[in-house]
Amino acid sequence: MIWALFVLLLAWQTVSPEAQQHLQAAAEAERQKQFDRAVSEFQKVTELEPRSPDGFVRLGQAYMEKHDYGAAIQPLKHALELAPDLAAAHQLLGYALLAQGYAAEAIPHLERIQEQTALGIAQIETGQLPQAVTNLQAALAKHPNDPDLLYYLGRASGLLSKQSIDTLLATYPDSARAHQALAENYFVLRQMPQAEKEFQEALRLRPDIPKLHLELGEVYAGSSQWAKAEEEFRAETKLQPGNAEANYRLGTALLQQGKAREARTELQRADRLQPDMPETLYSLGKAASLEGDAVAAEKAWAKLLSIEKASSLAAQTHFALAGLYRKQGKTADAEREMQEFQKLQNPGAHPEAVQK
Amino acid sequence: MRTALLLLVSVSALILCIGASPLGLFEVTQPRGLDFILQNSPTPQKYLIETMPGGVALLDYNNDGLLDIFLVNGGRVTSPMQSPENFDRKDPRYWNRLYRQNKDGSFTDVTEQAGLANAGDGNYGMGVAVGDYDNDGYPDLYVTSYGKNILYHNNGDGTFTDVTAKAGVAGGGWSVSAGFFDYDNDGKLDLFVTRYMEWDTKHSKSCGGEWHTYCPPEEFPATTNVLYHNNGDGTFTDVSQKSGIAAKKGRALGVAFADYDDDGFADIFVANDGMQQYLFHNNGNGTFTERALEAGAGLSEDGRRLSGMGVVFQDYDNDGRPDIVVTELPREIYGVYHNEGNGTFSYGSLVTGLGVLSSGSSGWGVGLEDFDNDGWKDLFVAQGHVLDNVEKIDPSLHYLELPMLAINHNGRFERADSGVTVPVAGRGAAFGDLNNDGWEDAVMTSLGGHLLVLINRGGKQHWLVISLRGTRSNRDGLGARVRVNGQTRFATIAGSYLSASDKRLHFGLGPATTAKIEIAWPSGIHQTLNDVPADQFLDVREPEKP
Repeated sequence: MIWALFVLLLAWQTVSPEAQQHLQAAAEAERQKQFDRAVSEFQKVTELEPRSPDGFVRLGQAYMEKHDYGAAIQPLKHALELAPDLAAAHQLLGYALLAQGYAAEAIPHLERIQEQTALGIAQIETGQLPQAVTNLQAALAKHPNDPDLLYYLGRASGLLSKQSIDTLLATYPDSARAHQALAENYFVLRQMPQAEKEFQEALRLRPDIPKLHLELGEVYAGSSQWAKAEEEFRAETKLQPGNAEANYRLGTALLQQGKAREARTELQRADRLQPDMPETLYSLGKAASLEGDAVAAEKAWAKLLSIEKASSLAAQTHFALAGLYRKQGKTADAEREMQEFQKLQNPGAHPEAVQK
Repeated sequence: MRTALLLLVSVSALILCIGASPLGLFEVTQPRGLDFILQNSPTPQKYLIETMPGGVALLDYNNDGLLDIFLVNGGRVTSPMQSPENFDRKDPRYWNRLYRQNKDGSFTDVTEQAGLANAGDGNYGMGVAVGDYDNDGYPDLYVTSYGKNILYHNNGDGTFTDVTAKAGVAGGGWSVSAGFFDYDNDGKLDLFVTRYMEWDTKHSKSCGGEWHTYCPPEEFPATTNVLYHNNGDGTFTDVSQKSGIAAKKGRALGVAFADYDDDGFADIFVANDGMQQYLFHNNGNGTFTERALEAGAGLSEDGRRLSGMGVVFQDYDNDGRPDIVVTELPREIYGVYHNEGNGTFSYGSLVTGLGVLSSGSSGWGVGLEDFDNDGWKDLFVAQGHVLDNVEKIDPSLHYLELPMLAINHNGRFERADSGVTVPVAGRGAAFGDLNNDGWEDAVMTSLGGHLLVLINRGGKQHWLVISLRGTRSNRDGLGARVRVNGQTRFATIAGSYLSASDKRLHFGLGPATTAKIEIAWPSGIHQTLNDVPADQFLDVREPEKP
């Protein structure tokens, strides 16, 4: 829960000298973080000034500072009875109610002051998922990379996605999209036979849905059934000739089967469609190397290393370059690449000392 | 020269039991008298040793011209294991077994009379190496174990004597594959023993969370391999430290020997599990330098560590240089390291087609043998996953698998029917011509199961089988490079996983009816024989003088 407790700068107008004394004592207690004493002093203020909403707000705030949100609710509600437009009271009451699990009751108060973070969280709790996503996105725009906001936005989006899929499955259980959704779920759970079956059913019902062949191909690739994967990836490239990923996947499936020439053609196409994708460049280098085209292999891998310098793919590329140079008899170059590989692969360790 | 064609007697009921196919290159048989069952004794404790045995050797222990079979058994494992460990090897169910082949192709269990019963209650059996370490003309046996290893000297009268103590080769810890070779070319066979890891039943772990599986190797500390130098007087000296072998700790399972850089000295490839592989280059002065990474044979094509298990070090593409094939776990694909001839290797798994054949399988025993006698060495791999419950974790993987038979077409492998139709947990594998018909056969162990005997159905191609008789070199010429009509074999009995193959060198000649034989003996002597008629078993004696 995100809490931003503000020091309320309430304008005290006419209060009695006795109340003023208790007010100062309460403020001093707050500064010393003696919240029990602060609560006691604010209670005396509210007794002396029962028509002043500010005393009730300060009392509610003091309760919240000692994390007694339940006790904060009553004085804050009373403050709003006295002054229905008091923004500070709405804000604190919204937080207090949300903290106590009364999300629905908190929402009107949070809406009133447009407190998007707390409002988004409350809306997740009440199932107002589209509104929650909107509010949390707006809050994240103001506070980028806030970990709590990122978490709640992810949660809201995930629940919204699930809600949508649940509706799809309940309303149209025999549709291609329902089978696709089930298949994707099985794929995530690594239940490949079920994923395969559902993707196939989706394809039987609607063979023209983009990405279905790609997804089924990935099921086969995941279990190293490369010939079947090739078939599906190829079907996707026919359906979506402009899809770089489909061409890349087809290229890798061909490569795994040792079909270097065909692989190279597909990978070159993928590289044209989406230039400088590191994975494509790596596989393109492998395909060229397998075909004996050392110049093209070196070029693809050098380009990759100009994009990625410290990733695991960069390490693999240095290793591949070492092999290429070794084969050419360029021992010094091979050794240099192996050193780069080892630096990236096992920083500070010997290769055999590191386990898989 | 031996040309006798012998029939292997089959028991049809047992054929059906182990799933023979009438159409494959091999006929899967259960020869009469061969009743061995590999007792690995799986327990709920998931002691790692349970999934690792067992070795098989094809050797002619009594020099009658017929290959006999020696099998290493595991032992009885209790749940939990008692202390001190007792694997009940006195019980005949857990004996290693020696089966003598009879003239009619049946086998007789001669374990007890040969003196090979009871390998010691403290020893859970693993593998076997074969070699004539005293050059007396009779092959000796070295049996590895979790526990102590045993060297059995072949007395030449059908019996063996345990000479471990005198020879000083008991080792210790968890030994796996072993092999005899002559690393210093002094004419006496030395011994290399791989060791897996520092592990014992007291320090076993439970892995895999709810799945409760055998632990991966990285859960336990690495250990050293052992190199024994043959002193020539029936004793060996542990030279692991002095030679540099012990400088590298690993998790070794397989070992194979060949002179990869053609400098006249046999090198060592060690298949390590879950880490880089080791290529120990023989410096020619009694020391070795580990060079796998710089030679390009230490990792996968993408620089990943491998689960190396079995290994074969032979020339698959007939360029005269020994290549390396390492069997591994699924998704890693079996590693093919092509010898480039400049002391380096290139990764050839994809271009040879082996990648796509092996990506879903777990490989153990492995051999490159020309099963169809077309002049290209084919590949046979014993397969089966390490985990006996792997299907629960990943339904696309299997504990029980069919072996892989891949036929070599000009350096590219294509899957063929092995003849085995019932999946097993394959482990050890050895190769040789069991029925002396000129066509290479295979045997394979399986956890908890019978030995699978795959008899080659044969065909019309020609062949040549060469027995080397060293004079200045070791008696069996191990380490010799033999070229026949453009094909090359490196004389070895070791390789595969836990196993030892027929020492004879088999060549398929295709349509050729004669052969040119060129032999580079370990002594440095070169010998050439021209116009040698095909289809014979040929004994070649090393010239006394260069």
